[in-house]
Amino acid sequence: MSYPLQIRNLVKRFGGLVATNDVTFEIEQGQSVGIIGPNGAGKTTIFSQIMGEIRQTSGTIKLYGEDIGALSTSDRIRRGVSRTYQVPRPFSDMSVVENIRVGLMPDSIWQMVIRSPNRDREIELALSVGFAETDLQRTPSELSMGDLRKLEMARTMATNPTVMLLDEVFAGLTVGEIAQIAALIQQMRKDGMTFLIVSHDLKALEPLVDTAIAINQGGIIAQGQFGDVMANETVRSSYLGTA
Amino acid sequence: MGLRWYHFVLWAAFIGGMFMLPEFASKGTLRTIIFANFLAIFAISWDVLSGRTGYISFGHPFLIGIGAYTTAILTKRFDVPVEYSIPIAVVVTMIGGLIVLLPALRIKGSYFALVTLAYMELMYQLVQVIRPDLTGGTRGISGLTTLTRGAVNGYYMSVSLMLIIALAMWLLMRTRVGTALSAIGMNEESVRGSGLSPTRLKFFAFLTSAFIAGLGGAFYVHYLGSIAPRALFEINFAFTIIVAALIGGASTIIGPIVGAFFLTFLLEFLRPILPGAERYFVYGGVALFLYMYQPKGLYEIFMRGWAKLRGTRT
Repeated sequence: MSYPLQIRNLVKRFGGLVATNDVTFEIEQGQSVGIIGPNGAGKTTIFSQIMGEIRQTSGTIKLYGEDIGALSTSDRIRRGVSRTYQVPRPFSDMSVVENIRVGLMPDSIWQMVIRSPNRDREIELALSVGFAETDLQRTPSELSMGDLRKLEMARTMATNPTVMLLDEVFAGLTVGEIAQIAALIQQMRKDGMTFLIVSHDLKALEPLVDTAIAINQGGIIAQGQFGDVMANETVRSSYLGTA
Repeated sequence: MGLRWYHFVLWAAFIGGMFMLPEFASKGTLRTIIFANFLAIFAISWDVLSGRTGYISFGHPFLIGIGAYTTAILTKRFDVPVEYSIPIAVVVTMIGGLIVLLPALRIKGSYFALVTLAYMELMYQLVQVIRPDLTGGTRGISGLTTLTRGAVNGYYMSVSLMLIIALAMWLLMRTRVGTALSAIGMNEESVRGSGLSPTRLKFFAFLTSAFIAGLGGAFYVHYLGSIAPRALFEINFAFTIIVAALIGGASTIIGPIVGAFFLTFLLEFLRPILPGAERYFVYGGVALFLYMYQPKGLYEIFMRGWAKLRGTRT
């Protein structure tokens, strides 16, 4: 069976520091998996390796059965995996629709020149993440943290992914904004999107995931149903601070 | 591309106005405008590379020099006709553009700027010591073929070249390529995270910039009829190109043209008052003042006025 995302014995060393320690897991089609763990546990490092932003020391990363370990980030995105960042990274002088336009661009100079932007799709994506029509020409400096996360989601969705990696997607958001993003994720789950979600907001995360993986010091310490992982003694002592 | 009727009207008015100028302007003024035209070409070239992608080049004369010296050597030393030497010079300059691209694959910011400055200095030293029989050494090369005679013809040649380059770049930058290149300047990591290859985009930007620099450099020497390394590879020349683009408005096409004309005429205006190098002190002060209070340049002031006139936001 070829999983949308399959990770085997992933190891990443920075000198003497082992940031990812023999991590193995897979995600089934349409499944949503949460990754939890204390700060510095190595959650984002796993995302960066999946996207090819940093190269693993050893281990394999497969997307629909294809080993993508040697591919560039843009090649991986074209194969269907895309991510958001812990700190949103918008294009500061561009409007909401222009930011989304970059995500919709083909990776070919010639195609960029001869084909016009798909303005309907840009607007559709912006509206789908909860922007109002009056927001479309606003620049990132005029947006709240919630709007920036929505923009990040929209630009990621514009790359047409089938597997989405969401990094701290609820950080810095108000209760209302969390509900808005959560509803969007639920809708995308219904549409068949596969998710890997990192979040410290366990309450918001729980209804969005089928299973959870707890990580500490680069290695998996628990894996399974969200409730079971939360009840795990090692997780409670290392992450939740309770025994 | 989002072209509007008033874009064509403005371009037509601009081109028409420029071509009618010799009817009204004195030959002295036309000679000043010729230099402004060439400075505009170099500033547009710099802006494609640095204004858009954020890879600030302090050594743009390196590329201009490659174009200028290639055609000068080919025509003077090997009797190659100008119609062949200029295209060859452009191709050689584009190869030079790839040399500038190499460090941009690994470094950025002030490190990249310093490397480009080193390229210019290296070129300056090389043309003086390597095969001076070809390059003319410290004295350069004179007696080159000139493409035009007289101020009016020189004006028409330079303004045609400048307008063709400006219009072509304006059309190109209105496509998604322009958006993608600007995106690199704003956040290269996000460009990569959007599924685009920043390396491919930088490759395109550097080659396009080199193409314009080579073309401008080659025509420039065949307008002057001579080339001197001290004038070409001079830090003042490099900074004049940068300042023209910045005070006019980086990441635009009209901005570098406005900046080039503003600077050239400012320096000419100051010439009788301050005939020495003090002129550069004044022009540096003016540039600093403008840049502090309007970092997006004179173009932004114009656009705000235009938006106010139309009752919309920019």
